[in-house]
Amino acid sequence: MSLNLFWLQCGGCGGDTWSLFNASSPNVVDFLEAQDINVLWHPSLSVQSHEEHRETIRRVTEGRERLDVLCVEGSVIRGPGGTGMYDDFDGSPKKDLVYALAAQAKHIVAVGTCASFGGIGADGEIEATGLQFHKHEPGGFLGEDFVSGGGRPVINIPGCPCHCDVIIGTLSAIAQGTPPELGDYNMPLEWFGVMVHQGCTRNEYHEYRVEEKRMGEKGCLFFYLGCHGPLVHGVCNKLLWNGRSSKTRVGVPCFGCTRPDFPQLYPFFETRNIEGIPLELPEGMDRAHYMAYKGMAAAAAPARLKKRKTRI
Amino acid sequence: MSARKKVVVPLNRVEGDLKVHLEYDGNKIYDAFSAGTMYRGFENIMKERGPLDGLVITPRICGICTTSHLYAAAKALDMISQAVVPDNATRVRNITLIAEQLQNDVRHHTMQFMVDATNPVYENAPFYEEAIERYTPIRGSSIVSAIQSTKRVLEIVSILGGQWPHSSFMVPGGVVSVPGANDIMQCKYVLRRFKSWYEKQILGCTCEEWNQVQSARDLEDWLESSPSRYSSDLGFYLRFGREAGLDRLGKGTENFISYGFLDMPRKTGVKSLGSTGYYFPAGFVSSGMVRQVNQHEIKEDISHSWFTNDETELHPYEGVTIPYATGSEGRRYSWAKAPRYDGHPAETGPLAQMMALQHPLFTDMVNQSAPSVFSRQLARIVRPALTISVMDQWLDEIAETDEPFFTPYNDIKNGQGHGMVEAPRGSLGHWVIIEDGRIKRYQVISPTTWNASPRDANGQLGPWERALAGTAIKNPNAPIEVDHIVRSFDPCLVCTVHCADLRWEV
Ligand code: SF4
Ligand code: SF4
Repeated sequence: MSLNLFWLQCGGCGGDTWSLFNASSPNVVDFLEAQDINVLWHPSLSVQSHEEHRETIRRVTEGRERLDVLCVEGSVIRGPGGTGMYDDFDGSPKKDLVYALAAQAKHIVAVGTCASFGGIGADGEIEATGLQFHKHEPGGFLGEDFVSGGGRPVINIPGCPCHCDVIIGTLSAIAQGTPPELGDYNMPLEWFGVMVHQGCTRNEYHEYRVEEKRMGEKGCLFFYLGCHGPLVHGVCNKLLWNGRSSKTRVGVPCFGCTRPDFPQLYPFFETRNIEGIPLELPEGMDRAHYMAYKGMAAAAAPARLKKRKTRI
Repeated sequence: MSARKKVVVPLNRVEGDLKVHLEYDGNKIYDAFSAGTMYRGFENIMKERGPLDGLVITPRICGICTTSHLYAAAKALDMISQAVVPDNATRVRNITLIAEQLQNDVRHHTMQFMVDATNPVYENAPFYEEAIERYTPIRGSSIVSAIQSTKRVLEIVSILGGQWPHSSFMVPGGVVSVPGANDIMQCKYVLRRFKSWYEKQILGCTCEEWNQVQSARDLEDWLESSPSRYSSDLGFYLRFGREAGLDRLGKGTENFISYGFLDMPRKTGVKSLGSTGYYFPAGFVSSGMVRQVNQHEIKEDISHSWFTNDETELHPYEGVTIPYATGSEGRRYSWAKAPRYDGHPAETGPLAQMMALQHPLFTDMVNQSAPSVFSRQLARIVRPALTISVMDQWLDEIAETDEPFFTPYNDIKNGQGHGMVEAPRGSLGHWVIIEDGRIKRYQVISPTTWNASPRDANGQLGPWERALAGTAIKNPNAPIEVDHIVRSFDPCLVCTVHCADLRWEV
């Protein structure tokens, strides 16, 4: 039996949709066919007229059409003043539509950081929030206790954008009847059990504390340039982007875009520190050990790393 | 008057949500109002942030022209920090900008614009079956082919900048990546593969052969001159366009603006198509005359927009964004501001680029029959024929030199600067003021803000309102003409930064 999927765009930039189109194996077309997915609606893929689109929504919200998977991209916009009218659909707030569809869905996937945690607009006047979290706080738009028809909370697949393989992997798991096991913040462990730092080609620099102090140098970006690689979960350096590279590989600090508090309120491209040691240490590290270890590591750094000839 | 009625036509397959409000008189649109339906408040999100934060936040304005926003943000900071951008950095920036544009032009044409050819209103048209075969969403042969190829060309952005969408590899003073010889080689392979796909699938001839088409007359001959041309996506577009009467639709304002596309490196073998320091020249075109663009002449009018401010027309350095969220006021109907150049509304995008360039084919077409959906969309789908070879040449130049990609810049504490670039949909500008190491003001005018502009204090309509007003509609219950017209501007409402519509009370 084919799987009915509805993809709703709310307060976002469309980046997750365009990320999805980057998928290679399988690509979007093969994926939809292989998993027998019937797209009830996707704003960039559907051709239905507005009347047909409304009718689809009516069928789903009145329970006349099965909704197996609801994907939400972008945050739920609640402003101004809780009315939701900064993002309207047919003259009523889009947030009402999110609610009506969520009430019918067997599985709900929050695609991207905006839908998961509120993202870009979470601190702004649009009063944006995630489906089931507001930044680090459980709750969000649907509430902490919400469970979808299949008896599970919203599956959060953050990232700005979410990596295409994570979107396809999550949807494939659902289609095969084995929804992914969830960890912190209801993120699937399969993809959010690793740190961005794992697989970064600058790991050896990190190990010996060979740091980039100014942009465009070669080294690790953790001490000075604000890299969040050891602080956040994500597959950027495991699966790579566009099958090719990652931000940290080319010298852009990881900004922690899968984190509930992305975008951070303090400046990017600089590391907040206490006496030269980053305020936030790699997950699971204690400060005293870290300082001792880093001091020794820097002293032990091999000459080939200090005088590096390669372009990374 | 009794025949007059108001309708709202929502459009899908655009980035973001878009509604156009039309007023019909029988089968004719006598007035049009364009309104996006979402407000995200980016400019206010930027306030009080770190000076470089535009590099991270603004690409998130739009998931499809993310590299363009990054470029504009970086250029504004180049100006503020008086950074010297080395030639290699300019090349890398340009190459990634073109790659983003290549995917946009192809995806917009095949996955958004041409899908309308499969609309049931065309059921009896001679092209209908072929349209269904090619452009049925997800399954159509041209669509499947476009999805496969456009994602590959984006690998170039990833090799040089880490990822697409949303990376922040351009910084004041250049780019942070230092691509090696093999990276450049890989980019060349990717580009070569894209070029041969584009020539076979889209053009049906080589880019060089296409670039020989210099007049409306040449275009006629071109189509019939070989089976590969006739059956290519471009060939189909020409045949469909003729049948559907696209050349008689969507005239617009007849003013065009382009900020200049692709900064020329100081030393390069690439020959500029104009003479202004850009590969495609900058220009404001009105009544066939091309003028230099001076950013002082750009102002935004909010007389019909949902913003609160005493002044109605401000330069973006003075611009403020205060959402008008209470009550209603008769004439305000859109949350797009109305950008004006020297007081005039102007169309931006590929056709505007071609007009600023005085490209013979497009100048000829526009002179013969005014700008139209046909010429606007044609400009988009053939634009890659002018950029692919340049990209290739810049890749070679990077491989041949050993110059840096970054020059350290001065601390950014105070100052103002602007970054003006050509995004896939047209002219994009960021205007930034930094005070005490924090962003004081950040104003963005995106291409769609130009094109989707509402009226101004003088009652002048925005480009696509102008293009809609006066259009005769065959079937008012299924106004396909509206889809063609608005989509020919490649609308992007997420991009429009301050753009929302609370209710319609005109
Ligand atoms: S999470 Fe990032 S990519 Fe996704 S909608 Fe939000 S801003 Fe765009
Ligand atoms: S650059 Fe970032 S991700 Fe890479 S090794 Fe350093 S801290 Fe880890």
